[in-house]
Amino acid sequence: MIVLEVKAIHTYRGPAHILNGVSLRVDRQEVVCLVGRNGAGKTTTIESIMGFLALQAGQIVFADEDLTRLAPHERAKRGIGYSPEDCGVFPELSVDDNLMISRWLGDEVSRRRDGAVRPDPQTQAFAVFPEVRDLLQRQGMQLSGGQRKMVAIARAMMLSPSLLLLDEAFEGLAPVVVNRFTEAVMKIKAMGVSILMAESHLAAASRIADRLYVIDRGEIIFRGSPSDARGDERVMKALRG
Amino acid sequence: MTIFVIQILNSFFYAAVLFLIAAGLSLIYGVMRIVNLAHGALYALGAYVSAWIVGSAVGHALEGTLGLAGMLLLLPLGAIAIAAVGALIEPTLLRPLYQRSEEYHLLVTFGLLLILEDVMKLVFGRTPLSAGTIMDRMGSIPVGRLMYPTYNLFVVAVGIAAAIGLWAFIYRTKFGVILRATSQDRRMAAALGINVSRVYVQAFAIGCFMAGLGGAVVVPAQAAVLGLGIEVLILAFVVVVIGGLGSLQGALVGAVIVSFVRTAGIQFFPEIELAVLYLIAAAVLLVRPTGLFGRA
Repeated sequence: MIVLEVKAIHTYRGPAHILNGVSLRVDRQEVVCLVGRNGAGKTTTIESIMGFLALQAGQIVFADEDLTRLAPHERAKRGIGYSPEDCGVFPELSVDDNLMISRWLGDEVSRRRDGAVRPDPQTQAFAVFPEVRDLLQRQGMQLSGGQRKMVAIARAMMLSPSLLLLDEAFEGLAPVVVNRFTEAVMKIKAMGVSILMAESHLAAASRIADRLYVIDRGEIIFRGSPSDARGDERVMKALRG
Repeated sequence: MTIFVIQILNSFFYAAVLFLIAAGLSLIYGVMRIVNLAHGALYALGAYVSAWIVGSAVGHALEGTLGLAGMLLLLPLGAIAIAAVGALIEPTLLRPLYQRSEEYHLLVTFGLLLILEDVMKLVFGRTPLSAGTIMDRMGSIPVGRLMYPTYNLFVVAVGIAAAIGLWAFIYRTKFGVILRATSQDRRMAAALGINVSRVYVQAFAIGCFMAGLGGAVVVPAQAAVLGLGIEVLILAFVVVVIGGLGSLQGALVGAVIVSFVRTAGIQFFPEIELAVLYLIAAAVLLVRPTGLFGRA
């Protein structure tokens, strides 16, 4: 079952044509990685899906609904969780308040979807990152880089999402912590959430992705399994530069 | 000694009015990063509308029916009207400008200031409007050998209540969390499902309400005249420069400092009263460019 389908999108940043007909698909309970070097168009793709950048052409379909013309907050209401590259943790709000903002909406997202009783989003968020429980009283600005990433992902989980967009979730983390985050992504997947993750390193992406796309200069140059990607000369050349 | 006490009471009266105006200015800047030059005109409009409402009630001989409490309750209607004006201004004039640089905000809000000044001239004419009936009916209380208007103390109470109410609203309610989140990162707020456009309209309307309330509470003590908004705008800017634009505590402390210095200035050094205020603002800017409570 397809959760998200990006159909041949063209996106500009100012006058610059960044995405040139990018298409991709995320199925239910699937971890999909979008791999590319810096400036390849990963963040632009994620931001186009979230609705921060208007499309010049193409379509974004989520749970059989065309989102192309919807504002970002309307997309969030439909169950798309987002953790940006800079985490976007509100610096002058407590972690608790950061989480609560999503929680208020999360209840609405659950009701809107099918009205079915779902596990408590807070329990799920803390199941992914129990560490966040000890940070609740801290201000956003008092968190370390790794803690900020944890809070950003836990906050996105509070929304009861059916799709999570993670932009460079592993960037800047120590190798030990990367393992912790890999484990968290697996837990989220096991909760029935689909994940689209932008990632610069093929090795890290290969460890968790069910499928991956490789993007270079705003175009998808590969789609397939991680092992096939490693054997593809064009992919390796594009990623090495 | 009595004069001294009265001057202190006057300072608090003026601080309460200045706080209402500066808090609105600060709230709008804090959430939307718009320096609203029309804020003083909205304050003056609040004064005019409130005086007009109270004047109409008195004109229709409703004074007796309403009683003092009823008359006092008419005053915030002016503030509500200004909030409604704000809710019209934000989506039509300001929303198209958020992506543009600050010069555009200044130009548009300055244009709005001129338009509002002319609208007031056209609608209310050149005759000053006052709601002095309220002040007269509240009477005076003895302070030492002199009498002091009870209404002024009422305004101080309104100022204190507004400060506590606004603080509780911003720091203790769900909407306050949403407001602060939007002010810190509007993109992320949108990504968490917050309708940023709606928050902006609400924030601007609340800011305008505060300006209107400032005008509403001042008009029983001081008549609404043309140009009322300009003088206050300058003082409100001195308040937020000292306190820090975007900070509620800053608006409060700044308002107290400015009104005490101003009252002392009028008493002891009337020729350089405004110059002293600017000097203090300049000194604060040199030592703490973001104001006493401002953020970088």
